[in-house]
Amino acid sequence: MNGDEQPYQRPEHLTAVPGAPAPADAESLLRAVARGDEAAFTRLYDLVAPRVYGLARRVLRDPAQAEEVAQEALLEVWRTASRFDSARGSATAWIFTITHRRAVDRVRSEQAALDRVQRLAPEATQTPADEVVEQATAHLQRQAVRRCLRTLTELQREAITLAYYGGYTYQQVAQLLGAGLPTVKTRMRDGLIRLRDCLGVEVAA
Amino acid sequence: MTQPEEIHSLAGAYVLHALEEAERETFVQHLRGCVACAAEVAELNETAARLAEDTWSVPPPAMREQVLAAVRRTRQLPPPRPVREPRRAPVRWWRHPAALTAAACLLVAALVGGVYGVQEQRLREERAATLAAQQELARTQAVLTAPDATVRTADVAGGGKVTVVAAPSRDAAVVLLATHSPGAQKAYQLWLMDGGTPRSAGVLAAGQGSATHLVDGVGAADALGVTVEPEGGSASPTLPIIAQIPMK
Repeated sequence: MNGDEQPYQRPEHLTAVPGAPAPADAESLLRAVARGDEAAFTRLYDLVAPRVYGLARRVLRDPAQAEEVAQEALLEVWRTASRFDSARGSATAWIFTITHRRAVDRVRSEQAALDRVQRLAPEATQTPADEVVEQATAHLQRQAVRRCLRTLTELQREAITLAYYGGYTYQQVAQLLGAGLPTVKTRMRDGLIRLRDCLGVEVAA
Repeated sequence: MTQPEEIHSLAGAYVLHALEEAERETFVQHLRGCVACAAEVAELNETAARLAEDTWSVPPPAMREQVLAAVRRTRQLPPPRPVREPRRAPVRWWRHPAALTAAACLLVAALVGGVYGVQEQRLREERAATLAAQQELARTQAVLTAPDATVRTADVAGGGKVTVVAAPSRDAAVVLLATHSPGAQKAYQLWLMDGGTPRSAGVLAAGQGSATHLVDGVGAADALGVTVEPEGGSASPTLPIIAQIPMK
């Protein structure tokens, strides 16, 4: 199957101003979610779910476990939306932090090891459209983060990516890299500082 | 209790969730009493979360309905009680003693080595490029996730494929080209065709055979065409058209 068969959808508006609702930012959606707005949650889901799922999958690798963790994380976003404090960071960072924490917890739990062996990874079937979207986004998405990751030293980069994407503790990272504990924790911190400056990250405290 | 500087160096591992439980608790304790640390941790946490940008993956379609169903039967937490702790003053990095020392060291290094300015310049350039890439990414994602987005694929003469994701509601399309290099000093150029004169929809870099390209102002175009042009592109398409994708 391919996209050729998809019927052309008649646009309702062909003006420069799109007819669709303005692309809401995660923060205003999250505030509405805190007030129990389910429609806002749906829109927030569409905005962040691919990254929430992608992050869980990157850390856990097993698609079924990633899906579980992504679901738990997204439900936690709904449940605890009132706890989000914009003075501490952006809404997306808050959501990805929840996701990453849960993914890492899963990695570290003993049960996960068993689960990984027992599961046969029922990969969800993806439509070609999904693949296209994935391909396109992946292509661009990586640019910003990767460009900045390249500005780090080898050790900074490895320490950060093994911890974040690999879900390892810094002790494990030190072992993997054959480096001392103080070195690794220092490299994680100064690497992130460099990354912060390259990406221009600011927190409006 | 560990020395303050020593514990403070755990800030990176902390935001990466790379601390073991006991150490994590010690750090959280430390964080409660250290305003400067809280500010640094907030920024590093924000930075670490950016790494998630590199993990985009399409979730299983059923997940959406499952999460929304779970939301409908889950009660939310009430807002937190206002905290009676001293108001967090926005502490910028330059007020932080450790950072200040580091900055002083850098300054010395700069005076000695004279390379600081060059690095700063490079950093600024990286940042500008990153910002532009992020903006394009956000717009690309808006097209890809638009409710009315349609996907069409066509073969490229000579091998490869071109895919167009068009979103009329955004008046834009994302073009994915995956083919061989057009050759040195040649470039692929995209054209919007709506019956009249083809309009250029962008030129790829010379020699580039695979790209993701955002096309604005798709409007009433009937089709999108791809041609091989001299480096930098042409005002009108050079025949033959090596790929053509209907947009309607």
